[in-house]
Amino acid sequence: MRVLAFSHYVDLALELISAGKGLGEVSLIVTSDQEGRIGEIRGADEILLCKELDSGDQEGLVELISGLGSEYDVVLLAGDRRGRELVGQVAHRIGASSAVDVSSLSAEDGKLVIERMTFGGKAVAVEELNLPAVISVQKGKFKPLEEGEPSVREISAPSIDRRIEVLERKEKPKVGVPLDKAEIVVAVGRGFKKKEDLKLAYELAEVLGGVVGATRPLAADLKWMEEEVWIGISGVRIAPKLLIVVGASGQQQFAAGIMDSKVVVAVNTDPKAPIFEQADYGVVMDLYEFLPVLTKKLRELKGG
Amino acid sequence: MDIAVLVKQSLDVQELRVDQDTGKIYIEDAPTKAGDIELNATEEAVRLKEKLGDKAIAVMLSTWGASGKRQKEAREALTRVLAMGLDGAVLIMGEGAEKGDTYVIARALAEEIRGKFELVLAAEGSEDNFSGLLPARLAAELGWPYVAYATAIEVEGDHVKVTRSLEDFEEVVRVKLPAVISVTQEINKPRVPKLVEIVKAKKKPLDQKDFSPPDEPKLAIKTLKVPKVERKQIVIEGDVEEVAEKLVQALREEGVL
Repeated sequence: MRVLAFSHYVDLALELISAGKGLGEVSLIVTSDQEGRIGEIRGADEILLCKELDSGDQEGLVELISGLGSEYDVVLLAGDRRGRELVGQVAHRIGASSAVDVSSLSAEDGKLVIERMTFGGKAVAVEELNLPAVISVQKGKFKPLEEGEPSVREISAPSIDRRIEVLERKEKPKVGVPLDKAEIVVAVGRGFKKKEDLKLAYELAEVLGGVVGATRPLAADLKWMEEEVWIGISGVRIAPKLLIVVGASGQQQFAAGIMDSKVVVAVNTDPKAPIFEQADYGVVMDLYEFLPVLTKKLRELKGG
Repeated sequence: MDIAVLVKQSLDVQELRVDQDTGKIYIEDAPTKAGDIELNATEEAVRLKEKLGDKAIAVMLSTWGASGKRQKEAREALTRVLAMGLDGAVLIMGEGAEKGDTYVIARALAEEIRGKFELVLAAEGSEDNFSGLLPARLAAELGWPYVAYATAIEVEGDHVKVTRSLEDFEEVVRVKLPAVISVTQEINKPRVPKLVEIVKAKKKPLDQKDFSPPDEPKLAIKTLKVPKVERKQIVIEGDVEEVAEKLVQALREEGVL
């Protein structure tokens, strides 16, 4: 199979190469703003360097990838927001099948077989896609390759009438360790009565060397926390080795975002809360009573 | 400038029952509804049309067949968004519609939208599948620009100014109409309709059309399986000191501390 790959993020592009090499030969598109990082790219057969196009130009990307895409069996894009934005557009332009947030992929009898989560994490869809196929790959599922220096070929950007103009781009404040890369996460929910009380969660996270994430209501409705730390299917999907969920009931949208966690602990006053079905260890107790004691014990342990 | 809002008849995943042992997923038993983010898209459409004095219409293409139950639910979902202030609704459904994939659905929706609307609002992802593929495909089918993840929309003549939220930055773009825009839940707080508005909504025009996709799925064959939940589900009992102690012990044995 011939695979074409692109991501706005070079780190994710490396994951796409790894995913694509399982299928066949991989060509990676590199845009002008990414040129400086060409030296880091391993494992692809070929780099298609487009010096005339910046990755911030969505319409230019759709045009370029759709134009090249018809020569390939599979187009791989990344699972970030801008990656997903391209999938449907490119797929439709080349008359291809499509899927997003794919967690596994393989070639079988001239088809691409993929798996992805659906129904808010209650089911996994196994899809046989006819070729050509355009898909986005879930972040963190494929390990970058270390070997193989690609050849570089320059390509030109097609000229188009642009209807989208970027007026402004504002960096979001960086949150220390991004949630999806954190080894230990404390997730907070509506069980916290006021914003100041989140201190209890931050103290627990600090002693564990972890970071704090939140359910949708806390981040989006109450605005107690940044949107970037909202865990769930429409927020960040996390995969820490330890997740402690405090005062969250375990709504499906949240549950889907924590499925890849290794060990899950839930603290909630309601023994019937669905979060206990999603947890390895459950503590049916008031968080205001339990967290300080747990933090103290852990501090003693860590302090030696 | 008339606005179309894409409303999907989504499976209510909170109510969906799955059997871990047999792997059965009780799709037929689960109710359907308009997705939460589609309520945000509706709210935004109502706000824009109130400002501009144009019409906003809900367009739904149901992919659950045409049983009495699903028809009733589809109409209820549309009544819900009509009560929020939309002017009318188009419901496209038919036997065998569940075989329609995003390619086919995008084409059918484009038929309904082309020439009638200048702005299409959708959710960044549907409640049940959350792929976000449909608005993107619809834009490609119509040949219109597509901007996803909107957190604010302003109409400026024949353009819209869209603020959108991406992972590491916020972007403000100016898009020439006609266009397809998908919104996130942060864009607004959907109004809760009053009873009188719900009563009135039932009298608003609801145009039902038949839909029959090609016999065989054009692009993909799909099967569903239940993911294996391998959680231990151990509830730790005792007083607060004991529970904390036992939990720390368990986490040490897990090797995660």
